[in-house]
Amino acid sequence: MGGKDAGLEIRGLSVADGDRWLVRDVSLSVSPGTLHMVLGERGAGKSALLEAAAGLRREAKGSVHYARAGDSVASSDNAAPRQRRLLAAFLPREIPAVSLSVAERLIVHRPPRVAGVALHAERGRTAARALASRVGVEALLDVPIEALRPLERRLAELAALIAQEPAALLLDEPTSDLGPHEARQFLTTVRSLAEAEKIPVLFTTTWPRDAYPDAMAVTILWRGADPATVSTKECTEAALVQRWTGGIGIRRAPSGPHTPGDTLLRVEGIVMEGRGRETSLAGIEFEVKSGEVLAVVGAPADGLNLLHDALLGNRVPGRGSIHFLGKEIMRAPRRLRVESGMTFVNPPIARDQSVPEFTVEENLILGQTHVPPFARRGSLRYESIRGNAVRALQDFDLPDITPRTRFRELSLGARQRVLVAREVIHNPRLLVARSPAQGLSLTEQEYVRRTLILQCERGSGLLWLTEEPEEAMRVADRLAVLTAGRLVWIPVTETLTREAIIAEMSGAAA
Amino acid sequence: MMTAGRCRAGRREILANLLVVLVLFAGTHALAIGGLELNPSAWSAPWTGDVVLVSAGLLFLGLAFLMPLHAGLLNLAVHAQFLAGFAVGALLVRSAAVDPGAQAGLGLLCGAAAGALTGLIVAWLKQRCAIHEILSGLLLSAAFSPLALALAGDRVTPPALTIELSALTAPLSWAEALRLPPSLVLAWGILLLSLAIALALLFAHFLRASVWGFEVRASGSNPLAAVATGMDVDRVQLTVMALGGACAGLTGALQLWTSPAVALERWPFPLGFAGVAVAFLGLGSVRGSIAAALLLGAWLNTPYASDVLSRPVYGAAIAALLLLPALWALPRLLPEHGAPRAIWRTRHRESF
Repeated sequence: MGGKDAGLEIRGLSVADGDRWLVRDVSLSVSPGTLHMVLGERGAGKSALLEAAAGLRREAKGSVHYARAGDSVASSDNAAPRQRRLLAAFLPREIPAVSLSVAERLIVHRPPRVAGVALHAERGRTAARALASRVGVEALLDVPIEALRPLERRLAELAALIAQEPAALLLDEPTSDLGPHEARQFLTTVRSLAEAEKIPVLFTTTWPRDAYPDAMAVTILWRGADPATVSTKECTEAALVQRWTGGIGIRRAPSGPHTPGDTLLRVEGIVMEGRGRETSLAGIEFEVKSGEVLAVVGAPADGLNLLHDALLGNRVPGRGSIHFLGKEIMRAPRRLRVESGMTFVNPPIARDQSVPEFTVEENLILGQTHVPPFARRGSLRYESIRGNAVRALQDFDLPDITPRTRFRELSLGARQRVLVAREVIHNPRLLVARSPAQGLSLTEQEYVRRTLILQCERGSGLLWLTEEPEEAMRVADRLAVLTAGRLVWIPVTETLTREAIIAEMSGAAA
Repeated sequence: MMTAGRCRAGRREILANLLVVLVLFAGTHALAIGGLELNPSAWSAPWTGDVVLVSAGLLFLGLAFLMPLHAGLLNLAVHAQFLAGFAVGALLVRSAAVDPGAQAGLGLLCGAAAGALTGLIVAWLKQRCAIHEILSGLLLSAAFSPLALALAGDRVTPPALTIELSALTAPLSWAEALRLPPSLVLAWGILLLSLAIALALLFAHFLRASVWGFEVRASGSNPLAAVATGMDVDRVQLTVMALGGACAGLTGALQLWTSPAVALERWPFPLGFAGVAVAFLGLGSVRGSIAAALLLGAWLNTPYASDVLSRPVYGAAIAALLLLPALWALPRLLPEHGAPRAIWRTRHRESF
């Protein structure tokens, strides 16, 4: 990883937002044709680092150097932000769902023209097909981007970036909305492209497993600590996790034996049409009993999002039934579901579970303002609201936060604790958790898991929907893999491995 | 999103808005002294009454924009609502069947109802047909102008369509019938300004302390979360648009019951949009809007403002100056997603 041969070199880069440091003194170099991973929890500064490298954000200190293959001049100079925007191709974490077809998207950057004016359709299609075949989406040329599955959308964007002939690829959390088998497929494709084009690739992630087997080195970012870079050849995945977390173990630690009780939720024969190229649900059946954790693992586009939507009440399945506490709720609005004792915990970055501009105490009563003790005769009772907040903050180990603190000022982990507190403090009958620890630091992840499982051991049922096999293995009493729109049940035993689950998931994707 | 009734803008924004007001006063004064004839008589007796009455109208218009803003709606139909109130009031004035003594109260009530109905139409169009309130608001405003003219006939002229000062010269029949004294304007002004301030403070109180206000703030700040937690965002938006429309409609009807000296017709652009200027000058807070309405009311009634505003070129410059506060107020007033997205989104169901 010598700086002399580096296609991309970052030296002592620091990025600030006002008076707050986002990134401090990061140095790394990436050789052409290799992948370099930046690992860190949300808020550790990964995106800021990439944006600075891409020229989308100004750095406070440090420099960024790019060198194209065979070009030795630019490598010695610090590229100005404008130059960086031309040299680097940046793929943001969220890709807008545009209505362009894949073919149009692939040539939009440099469309072949006739006489410099009209679009040369045939040449354009040929060029698009050539690009698409490099990432394996040539069969999808006429499909609108918005209808693609997340993996296909990422691959199409990757091909579009390659068409720009960049000096480096910068990918911001490209695996955040992919299942593990999809993430592996995506990173393998990135690596083969990088090798073919002889360009360096820098990507960020919150999952240590993404480093293996494709990345050459990993730079770990922590908030408030110096970054560290390790080589994947000298560091196993377990050692990487150990280095990142400082040795915090992640194990399910039940407080005692428990016996599943009455059936709370019964889902029978759910059939639901997928959006775009999403896999449809083809007869999902399961039940959740009180005091047990049922984990359902699957890629978001393999039906996990559809199942979640059906449980939330966002979409009504075409066939089947959903009974909660013996009552049919398939067509009931979410308010009725919540009132009858079903609550939801979504991923920390989900935008539909909090109001960032509200205070902590107000967020803690969101959805509960129509019932005593928080309201009476149409008026809010702030003494009750504050008392509730004080109790919740004490119980959930947030001593530094006051009820009047603005929610947006909290860290991601603290926000999720507050939201989990809101959902469990009233002792719900059933919790539906959708990747509730995604993107959090490992300490926070463990806290969220432990809190939800504790609630389960108090008698609530817990349905855990996730794309991460490891997470499912840590929490599940029973485990099912969502594959080809159906559930495949896997016994939870001591010998169950992540690879076995991924194999089941990728079988569905094939 | 702003806190109910309280200005959360920084000191810089407050100072910038005060500077805008200062420029308004000083600039128009300088222009009037420099090249225009002063009309000293304008400072005479009815001046105080004019200020309070105009301020009341401005505050009602400001509330018409401010109420929906808290629920995440940009009520640019405020001018249409104003014209609807004006047209209904004009119909009542022309109707011989209505007792002159009852015309005032009835006109205000019917004007408010017409404005509310217009607000409901805009909210309904947004919810059912995904027509953005900016678009429907501007279209309705354009459509209602000839309607207001037609309904008003010869008797009255919609003040928003002209900056002539002599539009409403005829004495009002109901005032003559009641033999009210010349201090009528002041009495009306104090009454209406008190009503407007009380309404503004009540709105601020409800925003903070009531379940309805909580839902309004949640709908405006994060409609996705509001829907997800069981709030009926559509109903909330209909309510605030109706309330805001009622305020604008009431101001429209009010124009028919005031003397020409106090008419808001001096405003340099279509009158309903005065509410937008008041809300932005007040940085989106209720208290700020009260202050802005009083300051603008006082400025509009200065003799030099009247003179300067009679020149279209100066009127355009002043209109541009009054829009300046929007530049620094808008990003702070709109929900977490920032101004551009909030302006262009059409439905809260969208996940953007």
